[in-house]
Parts: sequence; structure tokens; C-alpha cells
Amino acid sequence: MKRSTSIFAAIVLAIATVGMAFAAEGNARKGKYLYRQKCRSCHGVSASDLSPNSKTQAEWKKLFAKPEAIKCYKDWKGVTPEEKTDIFTYLHDFAKDSPSPAKCN
Amino acid sequence: MTSHISRRDFLRLAGAAAGAAAATAANAALAPQARAAAPAQAPQWESKFGVCDMCFNRCGLIARVEKGVIRKLDPNPKFTKSRGMLCARGNAGVDQVYDPERLKTPLLRTGKRGEGRWKEVGWDEALEICAGRMKDIAAKYTRCGMLFSAGADTQSQFVNRFAEAFGSYNVTSHESLCLLSGNRAFVDTFGEVPLPDVKNSKYVILAGANRLEALVTPDSMDLVSIMKDGAKVVVLDPRYTKSAALASEWHAIHPGTDLAFMLALAHVIIAEKLYDAKFVAERTSGLDKLSAHVADKTPQWAEGETGIPAADIARIARELAAAAPAAMVYPGRRSSDYENSTQIRRGFAIVNALLGNWDRPGGLVPPRPAGVKKVPFEPPFYDDNPPGRVDAKGVPLLFDDEGSFVLTRDAVIKGAPYPVKGWFVYKTNPMATAPERRKTREMIEALDFLVVADIAMSDTAWMADLVLPMPSALERQDPVQALQAGAEGACLVWRDPVIAPLHQSRPVFEVLKALSGKLGFPEAFDFDIATYREKQLAAFPEAAEILKRDGVFYPPNPPLGTTDGQPFKTPSQKIELYSNRYADMGLDPLPVYQTPKPSPDAGRRFRLVAGRSACVTQASSTNNALLSEFEPENTLWLNEDSAKELGVRQGDLVQVESPAGRGELKALVTPKIRKDTVYMLSGFGTISGQLKRSRVGASIVELMESRHDAICGNSAIHETFVSVKKKGAA
Repeated sequence: MKRSTSIFAAIVLAIATVGMAFAAEGNARKGKYLYRQKCRSCHGVSASDLSPNSKTQAEWKKLFAKPEAIKCYKDWKGVTPEEKTDIFTYLHDFAKDSPSPAKCN
Repeated sequence: MTSHISRRDFLRLAGAAAGAAAATAANAALAPQARAAAPAQAPQWESKFGVCDMCFNRCGLIARVEKGVIRKLDPNPKFTKSRGMLCARGNAGVDQVYDPERLKTPLLRTGKRGEGRWKEVGWDEALEICAGRMKDIAAKYTRCGMLFSAGADTQSQFVNRFAEAFGSYNVTSHESLCLLSGNRAFVDTFGEVPLPDVKNSKYVILAGANRLEALVTPDSMDLVSIMKDGAKVVVLDPRYTKSAALASEWHAIHPGTDLAFMLALAHVIIAEKLYDAKFVAERTSGLDKLSAHVADKTPQWAEGETGIPAADIARIARELAAAAPAAMVYPGRRSSDYENSTQIRRGFAIVNALLGNWDRPGGLVPPRPAGVKKVPFEPPFYDDNPPGRVDAKGVPLLFDDEGSFVLTRDAVIKGAPYPVKGWFVYKTNPMATAPERRKTREMIEALDFLVVADIAMSDTAWMADLVLPMPSALERQDPVQALQAGAEGACLVWRDPVIAPLHQSRPVFEVLKALSGKLGFPEAFDFDIATYREKQLAAFPEAAEILKRDGVFYPPNPPLGTTDGQPFKTPSQKIELYSNRYADMGLDPLPVYQTPKPSPDAGRRFRLVAGRSACVTQASSTNNALLSEFEPENTLWLNEDSAKELGVRQGDLVQVESPAGRGELKALVTPKIRKDTVYMLSGFGTISGQLKRSRVGASIVELMESRHDAICGNSAIHETFVSVKKKGAA
């Protein structure tokens, strides 16, 4: 039983991996909402005018691998790890070299 | 005798249409005083800038207005995108304003769907009904239970904004019934959708693009100019179009084989080392794999597929490469042809890459910066919404902000993966533009609520629960829009009303603003158009004055070549001849040619192809009184030899049938089309009781089968085979 469950899980994972070949694991739509709430209060106003298509998928990945190194990280108070993943997913999935690049900001 | 106008007629049409337009306006009940004007008098008109709305090109115009009545539309000479031209349709725009069949008040359906029984209601009641129904649908089916579809219109951005604030991801535009396959192919090859710099090109291959009739400004005018100066234009089309007639050469290619032609061009260019070696080495990836892929795609092989002589294919490849970088395979616009159209268009993109024409005069150039600022907002997030679009799982590479109309329609009919029960439609008309009309009808039957906002009672409006009358583009204030015009740079336009709105029409912006208040998100529309425009133009303080003075503003345009050395917006940062993304997703990483499948039924021997006349913009123009004088009905182009076999003579009524449906129209017996192909115009055979002129002829969407591009979900409208017989024949 246990074994069949893990095989099933592996198949599900494989299908999900193929289907979402370039999607990160969070909720991109929620990420877009959160990005507007939490990031655009500065970016586009007092900080650089950022959008998903400001960077490549690899650049977003690198940046979010070590978010504490991001210049404005100190202002990220109150952003939960789950929210961070959602924001990353949005930025990554609509990056400039993504299959569906965001139109401007 | 053909019912299609000659080139000379077309060139004359502008003048004729303008005269007729003045007559239409003068005859309008709104302007009885205009009749009294003595013809010899100098016109006492005011001149006001406008932007045409008879197709998506949006050419600048000057409206001549006398006592509140538009008498004539002229081109705006400062609007260089159209080379100072306003086409026949543009001239006929006056009739759209004064069409007696235009929608005048909000209408509420009282009979069965499509029966044409309506009750006039006031705006307050109409908006209350609309908001109430949308609220009900959101409560019952989540907010994604509302679908929003907006056509190519300057105010369509507000519909998308509204959908996002309302909380639905289900938005479609006309693009998935038109140009998405080409966009998909170029995004996946170059990282963006380039513009052709036709004006400076010395060699242009138009594969399936009938640019001298399906007008795109400035490309259409530039093609004529460059041919005059000695440039070569090669047309591949199963039909002898007006583009074919004026081109340097025309090849009646076997439909569906363009990719074979492109692969053979690549074969010759690579085998004979005619490509730009430095460019290809530095800026593309996958040449070795492409070389192997096209090693056996010889011109001899392609001759067998395309019907074009091998010697011609080899010669065209050499001529094209010799003219590079001022040479191109024209990317085209409508690419909704086949189920593998993305791969076909990848073939177009790859040949361009070999020519090294990127960001070079006469080649393909990256979109020019426009500098229009988005006006940000913070729409809410609804946790109970489903995870994605209703059509999300249909194809591997859907554009999330465009979707696929054909797949969305299937999902609505099935009610899966989740129910979509409401549809807000603004100035687009899927009942007349989406293949297999009976399925669109079925989709509408599955809805609880359909509201259509349009100028005229389109076929889609005819099926609606609630119809909202819109002002024409000459009666409204519009936001700024950036238009691309090849290498010359973007231009910005806006609209101010040329005349006050007629009847009870109200712009969609005001409708959405009112609805947003009733639905609890007024902050999404917390502005008027004037302040919205100010924000859009924040980068150009001088623009507003210039727009008022000239009707158009040109933002700074960097010279060509400024992207040299910069990475492309692809995963490899190079032009992807070989697509790693496709390989990872299990798609063909190089475009694999498939011989078009023959008709599954010997009785249906003709492939149906779509196309355009310069006097028709699908169903939005076929009811126009002036244009219908030039295209009063559609005819079936039928090769003369095929007609003889079928016993069909010129002008005979023929019955055309496919698994999707049937139609009846007059035959145009002609040598100008292949024996295995038939053609008709779209936009006729309408069902709306308020489009009386265009009810004649056959509806092409009644005949087209619902097929879609396997990669991006774009409609695939050349996959249908039809039977043709003379009416009354056995």
C-alpha cells in the first residue's frame, strides 16, 4: 500500500513537472496581488519601477534563492514565507524570457 | 465578370466614398438643414482630429464637421503611420455613425434568445440588471464564472481592468481568433514579436499574407512604394489575390505547405553558406541541429509538397540571402490557419534569423519604445476562485492574458473544469468570427447571462440578454494608445469627441465605472479619462499639447541597431533556432513538417480558405451602406475547371457543406484559385435582424470546423474541407 502510494505520488509529481515545466511552485495569481500590495508601494514610486519582465527567470530565481541579500529586504517585514513564494512565482512565471512575458508593469 | 472591385476602382473609392459619406450625413434626419446647403459654396466646416475605428489599424483622420454633423473624413497628413492615407473603409466610417440601424437605447430581451424581441430600458435599469446578474453569478459560481471578451478597441483596456478588479481570470480578445500562432512562434524564437521594416526592404516574401487587401498601415503602402523602387515581392497564396497581381512573382502554393517551403529555404541558405555567419554564430543557438534537421529538406523535396518548382525555391533562397539583411519573410498577422501554425510560423522566424535581419533596416525590428505609462491599481484577491483560467489545460503554451476562445467556448459548453455562466462582450462578435457558429450558439445557450456592448446589433448582440448601445469612435473621449509603425517608431494617439454622442449611447468606460461602484470596487475606476491620460503621458509633458495640435505624438525613437550585443529575451538569451523550451515540454524543438492531411471525405474535395477584401473588416463592416456597394455579398471563388466538372456556371447559386454546417451563395467561377481550394469572405450570412444588408450570402463561420493550434490554442480556420454543388443538383 505504502509503495503504491509513493509510486502514485511520483507519477503525479512527474505529470505536474511536465505540465508546469516552467512554473514555480507558488500561486502566481496571488503573487501578483501580493506584489501590488507589498512591492509596488515603493517600486514604481520611490524605488526602481520593477515588473516581472524586468528580469529573466534565472535572475529571479537567483535573487529569491537568497532574499536576505536583496537591498530592500529590511522592508519586507510581515511578508510570510508562503507569500514570498507566491510573489516569486508571479515574477518568475511572467519574466521577460518566460513563455508569457508580462506586458510592461 | 467579378463582383470584386478592380485596383483602379479601389483607388477611386476614397473619393467616391467621401462624397457618399457627405450625402449620408446630409440625408440623416439629424441634419435637415444640411440639405439646403448650396453645392457651390465653400464648406463652412470645422476640422477636428480623430482616429479611425473601421479596423484595428487606427489611422489618424480629420473629421469635417458642419453644424454638428460629420460631412467627410480625411486623412491626417501628420499621421505618418498611414502615409497620409485613409482607406475606403476609413472614408466609410461616416456611415457607421449615421447608420439608421445603429443601437440607440439599452435593450432587454423579452423573447427567446435570438428571437429578436426586446424591450427598451433606461440606463439606470440596464446597469442595475447587469450588476445584479454579475453579482449573482459571482456568488453562485465564483468570480471566474464571468467571462470578459473585448475587441480591438482603445477602451478595451478598461474591460480587462474591470475583469481583474471583478476577480475573473477568464478574459479573451480577438487575438486567439487571429494572430496568436505568429506571436507564439516569434516569442519562442526571438523572445518578442518583431515589426517588419517593409519601407527599407529589398526583398519580401509574403506567405499567405494578402497585404494589399488586408491592409496594415504602413506595411501595405510601403510594399507598393518599395516595388516601385525595384524591391522584389514574392507571394505564396493558393489564390491570385491583389497582392499576387501586383507582386514580382506569385506561386499558387498547395495550401498548408508553407513550412516545407521555409525548410527548403533554410536548406539552401545553410547548404550554400548564404547565411550571416557572424550573426548566426554570435546571436543564435542551435544551428548544428537545424542543419541536420533540414539536410534532406531540399528544394526538390519541397517541390513535391508545395507544387512550387525546385529551381524557383532555390533561386528565391539565393535572392533572399543576397538581399539580406534588407530582406525578410514577412511575419504576417492573422496566423490562425492550421493545427500546427505555431510550428509553421517558427519556420518563418527561423529563416529570418538566418538572414541576420534583426534590428536592421529592411529587416525585422524589435517593437519601438512607446513610453505610455500604465495606470496602476490594486485589485482584490478572491481566495475562493479556482486556480486558473477555464481553458488553462487545453494546450501547453497558452498566453495567460489572451487565452483561447475556441477552448474557452468548449469549457463553457461542458461546464468544466468549472462553470462559467456570464459573459460580458464589448465590441467583438464571436458569433460572426469564431468557427462553427452552432457551437458559439451552444455556448451562449449554456449561459445565465450575456451582455453585449456595441455600436450595432451584431450577431452576438442578437443572442444577448442585455444590449448596451455604444458611441462610435467619433463620439467619445479615449485614453492614449500607442501604435507601432515599423522601424519609424511608435506613435501615440487619443480621441476627443468630434460630435456629441448620438442617441442614448454611453462609452464602455462610463458603463464599467458605474458597474464598479455598484459591485463594490469603485477604486478601480476612481478617475476620469482626462486624468487617466495625464498619467499615461507622465513621461512626455509636451505630448498633450502636441496631440491637440497635430492629432498624433511621436515619442523618441532609438536608431536601429541599438540592441546589438544585447541578450534576446529567450531562455538561452539567443535567437532559438532550436527551442530548448519546446524540447523540455515534449514539443518538437525544431519545426517538423507534416504533409497536410487530405480530406477525410471524397465528397468534400475543397479546402476552404479565408481572406479579406480591402472593403471588408469581417462582420463589423459588411452592413455599412457605403462599403456594401463594393462588396454587396460574398461569393464562392471556384476554379473554372472544378466548376466545369460540377456543372456550375458563373453566378450560379451553390450549396457548400462541411461537418460544421452549410451555406448557400453565388459562385465566382475564376482561374484565380487552385482547383482544390475555395474561398469566401467572412462577415456575410449574418443572423441579426438589425444587420439587413449583410444577411445575404453565406456565413463562413457556419462552415468552418472548430480546430485549434495545438501549442497556443489559436483558432485554426484552414482545416476545413467542404463539398460544393450547384443548387438543385443531385
